[in-house]
Amino acid sequence: MIGLDQYLLLSGGIFFIGIIGIMTSRSALKVLLSLELLLAASNIVFVAFSRFNGDYAGQLIVFFVILVAAAEVAVGLAIIVLMYRHFSTVQADELKDLKW
Amino acid sequence: MFPSIAWNLISLEVLMTIALVGLIIVDILSPKKTEGNLIGIFSLIALFGLIGFWLTQHDLSGSTFGGMFIMDSLAWFFKGLFLITMVFVFLMTEQFFKLSGKRSNAFYFLLWLALLGMCLIASSADFLLLFIAIEILTISLYVMTAYLKSDKHSIEAGMKYLILGSLASGFFLYGVSFLYGITHSVRFDVIQGFVSTHPMTPMMLFSLVLIFSAVGFKIAAVPFHMWVPDVYQGAPTPVTALLAVGSKAAGFVILIRLFFGVFSAWHVEWSLVLAGLAAITMTYGNLVAMFQTNIKRLLGYSSIAHAGYLLMGVTAGSILGASAINFYLLGYLFTNLAAFLVIILFSIATKSDAIEDYAGLSRRSGILACTLLLALVSLAGMPPLAGFFGKFALLMATIKSEFLWLALVAAVNIVISLYYYLMIVKRIYVDAPINTSPIIVSLPMRLALGVAMAGIIGIGIFQGPFLDAAMTAIQGMHF
Repeated sequence: MIGLDQYLLLSGGIFFIGIIGIMTSRSALKVLLSLELLLAASNIVFVAFSRFNGDYAGQLIVFFVILVAAAEVAVGLAIIVLMYRHFSTVQADELKDLKW
Repeated sequence: MFPSIAWNLISLEVLMTIALVGLIIVDILSPKKTEGNLIGIFSLIALFGLIGFWLTQHDLSGSTFGGMFIMDSLAWFFKGLFLITMVFVFLMTEQFFKLSGKRSNAFYFLLWLALLGMCLIASSADFLLLFIAIEILTISLYVMTAYLKSDKHSIEAGMKYLILGSLASGFFLYGVSFLYGITHSVRFDVIQGFVSTHPMTPMMLFSLVLIFSAVGFKIAAVPFHMWVPDVYQGAPTPVTALLAVGSKAAGFVILIRLFFGVFSAWHVEWSLVLAGLAAITMTYGNLVAMFQTNIKRLLGYSSIAHAGYLLMGVTAGSILGASAINFYLLGYLFTNLAAFLVIILFSIATKSDAIEDYAGLSRRSGILACTLLLALVSLAGMPPLAGFFGKFALLMATIKSEFLWLALVAAVNIVISLYYYLMIVKRIYVDAPINTSPIIVSLPMRLALGVAMAGIIGIGIFQGPFLDAAMTAIQGMHF
């Protein structure tokens, strides 16, 4: 029987993978993918709680989150394209001009 | 049957949206040849209209959209703060793009969007609306940060801001999702009711830590400050000014609503953590700022330090503390915007942001030197300027809430900060200029500098009405 705890564990796992992905990947595209995982993890929590609490607000919130995530990716990809034009790479660790 | 919507409460935001859409239409209809700054001028006119409208909303209070959107004295106060900030930012944008010759129309739309996001943040009484409002603000800031497509630093800053900013919003949303699970709602009033009748549980603590880290990112508190120096340095200067003043104020209005309203029942349990964060934040900001060679980067570290001072007000947890935050932000607005105005005018004339190039500025332009002097000295907190009385109010609130050690740390920090602010002042007034060609400042810019200076001195000397306004904002808040 799959209960609330299993869903929360799943989302916790996805959130954790997202954090690890952001910290370890060098490619800006992978970082962007990992950022999407964070939002996906929250969506699972919202839907799971919504189902098990018998309250529909959570499922409604997910739609807004998907919308915001799409906007974020659009801007992220645009900046990555710009980055590729100037640095000829999408490796995030090549960005090291600004430091003290 | 839909519940009726009180349009008068949300009218400011509606008008803002109309202005934004109207400007886009003007941009599309106007022939491509008319470069100029038609949009900039229209934007400023619309903004002054909105400020006039905002003044009439003084006594407006209530909530609409099923309790999602509230208009109270706190929201009113902060909306004013954002509108005034925007006047300066529009002027800076106009100057900034005039000489670079780039098309800046899209930039104005993004600024309008950021303003809309900030006003919605001040008015949201629901975590969903708060999340969307924060995203409206941050996503437009990502684009504006990377706006200078030919500048490597701008792109790098945009990329860094995007990665860390999205990480913060991911944290925020994950925290909210658990909060929703525990309390069965994302509305502030329901959560406030839940908090006042329940003790803190580990899961609740987990979600609150996540939410706080996202807000900490916005205000640039220390464990979440990594983006600040890079983004401040790389972003176009008008955006840096907006980040330093608007975005930080937006973070603090969220903190005030959450810590003084929604979660106020639990304040005692985390005031020590907040005090520790405040102490670390201000010390880190001030110590690292001493070694900076780029003025925008220096102001970035100084902005971290100021987040630390302002967190003292949140630590205090009293009405006095919250009003001190409001008052401080008001003074900080004029002070920081004055500094950024000078930086923009200077960098347009000399194409440089290096502190060593500011040598002998007093002999190149009296008004720039004088404004920068006032701004830096006010940031350091010297009487009788705005920064002094703000710091005084924050320290007083902290001591009254029995955090004497924190007040002492702050006092030591103020002394440290004097060192690096006064080093710049020395450079401006004492050192000999390398290049003696005078910097010409146009009349509208002189006016803006004058207004900023008047704000710095006026708030410092006539604190009474401003302190009253800050106090009323807190006393009349719903959450």
